[in-house]
Amino acid sequence: MNTTTTTRRVGDVPVRRRSFLGMVAAGAAVAGVPSLLTACGSGGAGTATTPGATASADVLPTYVPVDYVEPDYPSVNGSTPGYETIPTELVQSVPEAPGSGTTFTAMTPLWGTIPPTKGNQYYEAVNGLLGSTIEFQITDGNTYGDKLATVLASARDVPDWVTVPTWNIPPRFGSEIVPNLFQDLSDHLGGDKAKDYPNLANIPTDVWRFCTFNGRLYGLPFPGEVITDAIFYRKDVLDELGITPDVQDGQDLLDLAKELTGGNRWGAEDLWNTAAIIHAVPPRWKLDGDKLVHRVETEEYRAALEWNAALFASGAVHPDAVADQAGDAKTRFQSGQSLIMNDGVGAWHEALRDNLGSNPAYWQQPFAPFAADGGTPVLWKGQPANIFSFLKKTDDEDRIRELLALANVLAAPFGTTEFDVVNNGVEGVHYTRGADGLPVPTPLAATELQPTYVFLVSPPLANTRVQYPGYVQTSSEWQQQAAEYLTEPLFYAQQIVEPAQYAAIGQPFVDLEKDISRGRKSMKDLDQAVETWRASGGEELRSFYQEILDAQ
Amino acid sequence: MSLGQTLRNRRDATPSPDPVAEGAGAPAPSRRGRPPVRKLSLRTRLRRDGALLLMVLPAVALLVVFAYVPMLGNVIAWQSYSPYTGFVDSPFVGWANFVRVFSNPLFLDAVQNTLVITAFQLVFFFPVPIVLALLLNSIVTPRVRTTIQSIVYLPHFFSWVLVVTVFQQIFGGAGLINQTLREAGLGSGFDLMTNPDTFLVLLTMQSVWKDAGWGIIIFLAALSTVPPEQYEAAAVDGANRWRRMWHVTLPALRPVIILLLILRLGDALTVGFEQLILQRGAVGADVAEVIDTYVYYQGVIYGDWSFAAAAGLVKGVVSLLLVLGANKLAHVFGESGVYRKS
Repeated sequence: MNTTTTTRRVGDVPVRRRSFLGMVAAGAAVAGVPSLLTACGSGGAGTATTPGATASADVLPTYVPVDYVEPDYPSVNGSTPGYETIPTELVQSVPEAPGSGTTFTAMTPLWGTIPPTKGNQYYEAVNGLLGSTIEFQITDGNTYGDKLATVLASARDVPDWVTVPTWNIPPRFGSEIVPNLFQDLSDHLGGDKAKDYPNLANIPTDVWRFCTFNGRLYGLPFPGEVITDAIFYRKDVLDELGITPDVQDGQDLLDLAKELTGGNRWGAEDLWNTAAIIHAVPPRWKLDGDKLVHRVETEEYRAALEWNAALFASGAVHPDAVADQAGDAKTRFQSGQSLIMNDGVGAWHEALRDNLGSNPAYWQQPFAPFAADGGTPVLWKGQPANIFSFLKKTDDEDRIRELLALANVLAAPFGTTEFDVVNNGVEGVHYTRGADGLPVPTPLAATELQPTYVFLVSPPLANTRVQYPGYVQTSSEWQQQAAEYLTEPLFYAQQIVEPAQYAAIGQPFVDLEKDISRGRKSMKDLDQAVETWRASGGEELRSFYQEILDAQ
Repeated sequence: MSLGQTLRNRRDATPSPDPVAEGAGAPAPSRRGRPPVRKLSLRTRLRRDGALLLMVLPAVALLVVFAYVPMLGNVIAWQSYSPYTGFVDSPFVGWANFVRVFSNPLFLDAVQNTLVITAFQLVFFFPVPIVLALLLNSIVTPRVRTTIQSIVYLPHFFSWVLVVTVFQQIFGGAGLINQTLREAGLGSGFDLMTNPDTFLVLLTMQSVWKDAGWGIIIFLAALSTVPPEQYEAAAVDGANRWRRMWHVTLPALRPVIILLLILRLGDALTVGFEQLILQRGAVGADVAEVIDTYVYYQGVIYGDWSFAAAAGLVKGVVSLLLVLGANKLAHVFGESGVYRKS
């Protein structure tokens, strides 16, 4: 199971590395799954769902960008803009606290120590900006999915505001949960109505599109990176060994991993995600002529499996990774037991945070994008949000408007007072300004200032981690370079509600990817699994998506 | 052991030095040598057993709330259920889910793996605590005995995550053994943790290490009830160590062994969910997918609750039949088994 166990600090955000690709591979998709009942259109529970419906323009908020600070590394093709300095003059984007003094409940995940509720000066400061109180029900992020599934199955227990990470989306989410439990925001944010909430209108349209279910707007986003993954290597260790990697194709990487293996050190972790990236395996479907081809049927998928199997066969994979102990991969990589690892881009600064203290020379570096055959790489654009939140369904219009006004405060972008308080807390309490103007967290920050509000809604991403020397520059430039190769996958930014009966047909491939990589099964088994997949619902699933495609 | 069981044992203990010899010939072993009981009225029985019944009440209440009421939820096995529609509104689909369960090759694979693991462990795990208990029992110094006892109990309190990690650190490809081999220049191919062919042995090793010590408790308790006079008498009659064990110790242990065997049979289709799901990725689903993990993936991960409930129910019914059958068999051999109609 996926685990992210690192303690997080100010404004850190969990980016779940394996979850996105994993879920897509599992066929469970990021979409919810309706029961046979509603799919047949009986609509007993008042949920007329239209699975592939695309949101019309009047449902999506009008995009009105606001820029408070000019980025030093502007966004290329959607890459995260980078900022080398923190502005000294901050703007208050919402001059008056919009709240009415109400107390709202909110459920959020946390990968860290749960902060105290009583006398928490961080909560007091943010609630002061809001004018209402948000009372958090915080659950450990690693088990958040279990809690979420239980809470959502019992309408009475649903709090006013619920965070839903995309990797925790339970089956039947889009078809049954969203319309029954959550507030349709289309009439409040659709089109120009969003201009009442300027910080929400500052969030790009694709992000909002991903928050629509069955053609209506429901979610408030936590925007995600367009480049989700990177192939990291331990540059500091390789420098020490006198190796300057020059990886131009898949074979180069295999050779490097082999070369680095020896003694109690191994070249790589399980690089299945890397294999998928360098072979441009489509996230779900690709178009071959005018026919939809599922990822497991593609040549890219086969080639990626063969490549990963070659990596395992070379003996360069750490034995604990061979034993599928993926949870400790980061520990092995950061302690230098393995030297190449696939991870989410967010893991980069987290690793610096966790390691620079004990090892000032620590540096992990992503390889420049390359294709397995040495040609032009294709990187599939990451979904525009990783986490969203939903408001509990209510008939009280004022309540919805108030909650959206609160969201507007929380979505204030980099360069505003609100952003600063939400991410850094109160000056003199949670941080002090160092000589270079950088915020230095106080011990109190570690207990009180855990990410909570950020999971409700967040502004567009900004790379502002100036505290790690060289990080903003290196990571921004790498992202700008990688963004050149971005390609939108089919059905990009669409929430497609797959029928329930297809949920499990992708399961054998999750096992098969592990089995073939580890040499326990062959490509013949893949052929057979693909045949089974086609026979047990794959063809129907294809027609299902074909219809959606034709309707676009 | 239940209270009733203990009482019954006490009642049986006095007159029958050799239950087998007596029971084997008797046509109805359940009535062995007792005078016919006069049927008492409900009221008299209530008055007689009132205090006992009262004592049982909390346990029964817990059972009802946490075991029997949830069992009603099994109704979803005949529905196309979704928690967002509820029990009431989910449509009934007859036996369709069961048909799917039995026609699914993956489920049948899981059943096969489960049975293989059970059979293997029955032979190589079940007798270990008995042997250990006999060995411990033969140690006379109490101090040494309690020390050994504590050491072998301890792993029982480790979670499976920990056990698997410890094994990975020792038997894994980056573990202690392989490291030592590599440093000695004896090759580096040793990796017990990812070898599907030896997975059965690995599983059993882990179970033995973790739970064999715990399992000896019951046997030690049974051994402590053997009156020392029997050993003395046997010794006086010239029985050596082995004959004393064969004729005194083992017969004393037999009811407990049979009781545990029956209980084990009831659990035949349960082979350690955590232990397996933790290592499923390391050796592959082909050898490590058992009924419980299969139900988990289908139900919890893929949201096919009704299908998973049907598979789980099949398992439950088979387990119940196994217990009933084994109990019957025990009666035939003159043992009291798990329970007996009085």
